[in-house]
Amino acid sequence: MISVAPLHRRPPYPEPVLSPDEPPPAGPVADTPPPRGRRVSPVVVVLAALLVAAVVVGVVLVTGLRRSNDEWQAASARWEALATDAGEQAAAAQAERAQLEADLATTTDQLETAKNRITELADEKAEIADSDASSQQVVAYQARVSKAAANVADALTRCVQGQQQLIAYLDDASSYDPDDLARYRDDVSTVCGSATDANDALQRALETG
Amino acid sequence: MRLRAGVAALALVGPLAACGIVPDDPAAVPTSVVPPVPAATTAAGLSPDGFDAEHRIALRLRSVTCDGIATGSGFAIDEHTLVTARHVVDDATSVQVSTYDGHDVLTTTATIARDADLAVVTTVDALPVGATLAGSDPAVGDPVTVVGYPLGKALDVTTGHVTAGRDDPLRENAAPVLVTDAPVEAGSSGSPVLDDDGHVAGVVYAKGQDDTTYFVPVSTLRSMLDDEDAFVPTPGCS
Repeated sequence: MISVAPLHRRPPYPEPVLSPDEPPPAGPVADTPPPRGRRVSPVVVVLAALLVAAVVVGVVLVTGLRRSNDEWQAASARWEALATDAGEQAAAAQAERAQLEADLATTTDQLETAKNRITELADEKAEIADSDASSQQVVAYQARVSKAAANVADALTRCVQGQQQLIAYLDDASSYDPDDLARYRDDVSTVCGSATDANDALQRALETG
Repeated sequence: MRLRAGVAALALVGPLAACGIVPDDPAAVPTSVVPPVPAATTAAGLSPDGFDAEHRIALRLRSVTCDGIATGSGFAIDEHTLVTARHVVDDATSVQVSTYDGHDVLTTTATIARDADLAVVTTVDALPVGATLAGSDPAVGDPVTVVGYPLGKALDVTTGHVTAGRDDPLRENAAPVLVTDAPVEAGSSGSPVLDDDGHVAGVVYAKGQDDTTYFVPVSTLRSMLDDEDAFVPTPGCS
């Protein structure tokens, strides 16, 4: 068992008791030493100052850190929003790029097909033009041959007619001047020679076909 | 007194030191982190219709003679001039030209070289694009490309290498000719032989045995083009 006894403060020195009739004691009051309880130790002062400083520093520090924290959190939120936006842009750009690449591949295939088709059409057109040129040459050849044949027929007709007329004249030669008959015979020979020339031209036309 | 001054200094320095502990404010957040996108550009020399230059310079010739028609190949050297082989046009009464995309080109005159199987035809209409002549003849082993209309059919591209240089066995060319293994057919005469840079290195004029192809080197073509007397009008058919 521990007994607890009340503590009694013992005065540091006896309190003087004065009667009303007793004059107060003479002597200088200044010589009386100051009460020992009012004297503050320097250590206490230093500690108190340090405490105050620590409190001030703490308050300043806490305030600064809170403000800095707020700033960093706000900045972090803005960066996060920015990153999200950039990510969305990147995703959209990648999707657009993939679509463009697909479109480009399709367009490239279409271009290749179109080029091949253009080449085919150019070839078809050229070959049709070849056939047309050949046909024109055949037509021209046939026209040349026909014209040459017509010339031969015309010349032969005139030759035959001339010869028939010459025979008729010779049957009644006494009725005509011999010089006229000779001249007419020469004319018939010329006409028949033309028929021979026309026939030669026809043969040449046929050979060049 | 010294102690109090120290305490006062500590009271002043303490908050300042505390401020030093607090991190700096974050840097300003930009409004965008996307770098500037460069402006889209168009590649230089891009074909307007997807056909490359080697197709665009090739020309198809139809030579109308007294005996019929013949087809050959050629290539433009400027807007109104094309080069082909002499035997393609020497008997022609008219020369008809069409381009890779089927356009017909009206021609005016055709002249043939005296000493080489080469001919020059001028046109009324503009040709698609002119070829660039190579600065020198290709060497044996160099890769070459032949663009033309074999058998008068569709435009065709064949490749090979220069295999030899020799005198002309047909005696159509006074100067030596070159040989390549790039295959050709009748109708390819006049086709340009292109080097690796796409420049004209020669002109096809004959097909040999074993798929060999004979062509007039570009040096001969250059010398002919530089000589005004080298070409004479076509005699046509008689």
